[in-house]
Amino acid sequence: MISNYLGRETWLHRMPAGAKLAALAILSVVILPVDDWRALVAALAGVVLLYASLGKEAFKRLAMIRSFAVLLAIIAALHLLAGTWQEAVAAVARLVMMILLADLVSMTTTMQAMMAALTPVLTLLRPFGLNPRKLSLAVSLAIRFIPVLSANWEARSEAWRARTGRRPSFRLLGPFIADTFRIADHVAEALDARGVARSRRGGREWG
Amino acid sequence: MGLRDLALIVLFAAIIAALGWVPKVDLPFAAGVPITAQSMGVTLAGVMLGARRGALAAALFVLLLLFGAPLLAGGRGGLEVFAGPTAGFILGFIPAAFVSGYLFDRWSLRLGMFGAAFLASVVGGYVLLNLIGIPVLMAVNGTGLDEAAVTALSLLPGGLLKALATGVVSYVTRPDKVAGTEAGV
Amino acid sequence: MPDTVSPYLRFDNVSLGRGARTVFDGFSASLGERRVGLIGNNGSGKSTLLRLAAGLLLPDAGEVFVEGLETKTHRGELPGNVGFLFQNPDHQILFPTVGEEIAFGLTEKGMTDAEANAAARELLAANGCEGWEKRAVHELSEGQRQLVCLLSVIAPEPSVLLLDEPFSSLDLPTRLDLSDRLRALPQAVVMASHDFEFLSAFDRLLWLDDGRVREDGRPATVIAAYEASIRGLKTARRA
Repeated sequence: MISNYLGRETWLHRMPAGAKLAALAILSVVILPVDDWRALVAALAGVVLLYASLGKEAFKRLAMIRSFAVLLAIIAALHLLAGTWQEAVAAVARLVMMILLADLVSMTTTMQAMMAALTPVLTLLRPFGLNPRKLSLAVSLAIRFIPVLSANWEARSEAWRARTGRRPSFRLLGPFIADTFRIADHVAEALDARGVARSRRGGREWG
Repeated sequence: MGLRDLALIVLFAAIIAALGWVPKVDLPFAAGVPITAQSMGVTLAGVMLGARRGALAAALFVLLLLFGAPLLAGGRGGLEVFAGPTAGFILGFIPAAFVSGYLFDRWSLRLGMFGAAFLASVVGGYVLLNLIGIPVLMAVNGTGLDEAAVTALSLLPGGLLKALATGVVSYVTRPDKVAGTEAGV
Repeated sequence: MPDTVSPYLRFDNVSLGRGARTVFDGFSASLGERRVGLIGNNGSGKSTLLRLAAGLLLPDAGEVFVEGLETKTHRGELPGNVGFLFQNPDHQILFPTVGEEIAFGLTEKGMTDAEANAAARELLAANGCEGWEKRAVHELSEGQRQLVCLLSVIAPEPSVLLLDEPFSSLDLPTRLDLSDRLRALPQAVVMASHDFEFLSAFDRLLWLDDGRVREDGRPATVIAAYEASIRGLKTARRA
């Protein structure tokens, strides 16, 4: 449920996540200083072709740019008011291209691969007290508990509707948060029972 | 950091994510910055857990987005969020949670639960978040100061409403009683 | 009561307070039977006893031994020896997919990720859940989730299983299915429950009342005494 991931495998899926992230970083650095609208539109056309090369399903994903429509319209309008239409086209094309390129990486890389590729970077933060294994546990736990908390909220709203006949109010937030604290106690206990962070020979390091 | 701290950080990151299911409101004058319940989740994390754990909860949420989980209101997520114009607001979640938590802890004795949580949320969740988010928005969009002022003003009613809600929730749940101290985190 | 040759669980003069309340005050018991049940009203100390045995709580005074390991000094080694099944599966499943959940305890024991994933796949297949490893936990039914909990707890092959009312939220078919699976387990089992039908086949029952053993022995005797006391209480109240 929670992934932007594109189910059907394409050639871009098979590329290592690290390479894709590096390519994205390099492309950003190259694209940002470009001002020539013709170059930017040509490059954008190239990105669209890239989507097309991944098949119909991926191509349909281009529609997600619609969620940026209001924003893009405002940017275009501002540039038209303050400058030339060439500047407006360049600004919109640059932004759309950056968003599409980033989405291209997200939709062809699993969360596990993304985590694995970014973990070495995060390991650099180790001197600041960040433990990579604890971090990956935290990520898994969060993904696990998002649906649990949503279900908890849903159940509460339902009980509220059943008893009042009205729409759920933010007054439900108080008991919901209090309940979350109780769940935290259970989760901490379950982690303890499974041996997380108990000092032991031969076990994994938790630090 | 104890296991309970870890559990609380994770669950509040999950709360911020779950608040993404509350429909977002797009305002015409806000330059595409939506009003969402998620920024309320951020200040709530700070107020409930304290500065450090709250900021870690917000950071975990941001990391989930980076890894590709579409957890933002409206189902967005992934690297493209950090390429877009609202990137500043998203990254600003982390200091916003920290500052809300820090101020709440300083003010809660003098102002009481409601007042401290309300003011801490206004400063952390509205003032600071916009101070980080709007300049990034301006830089990406290439817009000027008056546009920024209009954006900030149009986000004010929502910001106050969310701070009010955070205040009420704090008044009801008493973070000083349930959350434990941050000592040794 | 039956003699115990080598107890896997021993409570030596254990005292424990939780908050302002004293739960145990000089509690002693020794468990060596393969199937031991704990009964008693809510708040009588059943859950606390199990938590002491898993090292989740440590005694204020006295000692708890699991397989000869004192829980204060050997806390780190307990999870390898003791499995704990909680009441609510939603609060103890830690990972989003079934495979990760089961593999976790194995990597904690020192297996590599690949070994642990393979072992998890095998365990699932051996328990009639072939191909579950990729399934999202939140899409499983309540009973399926409790089964995943059980499998993830027995995966690291602990010698003692502690079960805290694992049936309380299950429907009848799932309860029967899980009961059958529990009966077949090679591990020693200590289980807190209100399911007297299931407990009646156990080797020994302890009736806890306000942190003390009120009755200890064969299930039939203990259950009868417990039920008689509750009926007696009701009659006394009515009178």
